[in-house]
Amino acid sequence: MRPIFFLAAMRVTIQDVKKQHESRLMSMPGVVSVGVGQKPDGTPVIVVGLDRPRPTTMAQLPQSLDGYPVRVEFLGEIKAQ
Amino acid sequence: MAQDLGTVRAVLKERRNELLAKPNVVAAGIGFKTVQGNGDATLSIVCSVTHKVRAELLSPQDRIPESIAGVPTDIVSTGPFYAFQARTDRHRPAPGGVSLGHRDITAGTLGCLVRRNNQVFILSNNHVLANSNDATVGDPILQPGPFDGARWPADQIAELSEFVPLRFIGAPSDCSFAGAIARVLNALARMVGSDTRLKPVTMQVGENHVDAAIARPLAADLVTPELLEIGRIQGLGRGELGMAIKKSGRTTGLTQGQILQVDVTVDVQYGAGRVARFTDQLLAGAMSQGGDSGSAVLDSGNRLVGLLFAGSPTSTVINRIERVFSALRVTL
Repeated sequence: MRPIFFLAAMRVTIQDVKKQHESRLMSMPGVVSVGVGQKPDGTPVIVVGLDRPRPTTMAQLPQSLDGYPVRVEFLGEIKAQ
Repeated sequence: MAQDLGTVRAVLKERRNELLAKPNVVAAGIGFKTVQGNGDATLSIVCSVTHKVRAELLSPQDRIPESIAGVPTDIVSTGPFYAFQARTDRHRPAPGGVSLGHRDITAGTLGCLVRRNNQVFILSNNHVLANSNDATVGDPILQPGPFDGARWPADQIAELSEFVPLRFIGAPSDCSFAGAIARVLNALARMVGSDTRLKPVTMQVGENHVDAAIARPLAADLVTPELLEIGRIQGLGRGELGMAIKKSGRTTGLTQGQILQVDVTVDVQYGAGRVARFTDQLLAGAMSQGGDSGSAVLDSGNRLVGLLFAGSPTSTVINRIERVFSALRVTL
């Protein structure tokens, strides 16, 4: 029973969660980026960047992933400068 | 004794050449004398000097007198004056933060100098120095960049040494199996009179960590380790969430920002429908525009943390410098 208890108590990092969901998120229409940001109080958040407001994609995006909040930002198209 | 402006002007006009001939004096003008703890608005002749020297170390004729024809003097240390040169001008030696680019591009930014085996190289982006993979080692690098009026060979400053190839999504595949199948099917298509042909492309998304390249200056004295409006780089740093950063770039000059996201995976457009996916990037707010690509990104202690390469109207995307240095096997 000990190992199971240990696994249950361990929390996956936000980087692990982001990595796990990243390719699915990046394949959604209008998604240009997925990264790790923070709230003003320092709480880590998964930030999904969109090229413009995308109602369908936004409706499909989860509010949180494995307990980490998901925030949407409109970044515009990212171009080499 | 308080003087009126007309009197001071007349004295200055008569004596300014004498003042400017003294060692270290770079300017003479009229201003209020600044005395510590004294708010009196006394007009004085202000001499700007490159640096202050104690009066007893100067011969009497080199000293600036306490007053000239009854007008008090003041001495301020300003350092030497330089004509402001635009970042899009030709600079020799060229510092970090000025325009530069491969012969076939518009213009980007000279990032900074790096080393490999005691040889000095210019660091910038692949899409600035190597035309997004479409360049050959040895190609001319111009300062300023072609868009800013550079001519070849007069403005060549370096030659392309090495670039980290960019992997684009949907790039032509070099898989021999897929190529063979496409050839067979294309032969069939030709036989039945179809105009359509198949072309194998890579569907798996190739990951990039850096958009980076180095170029070797044609001579050591064509470049300087200074960054325009920043100075010298003080070692390497590591970009962290919330960190205050700055860059010195061709288009928007010296700008400040903050790292708002780390571990960023981002799809970047390279024009003509080419898109490249990058992982482990740093993302800051708006602090750059087209032409700033290649800028060195530093923390508040002037430690190098990144290489700027992409952005949108609201964001700036930056390669981690540790990734850049290991990919190109260079050091500061």
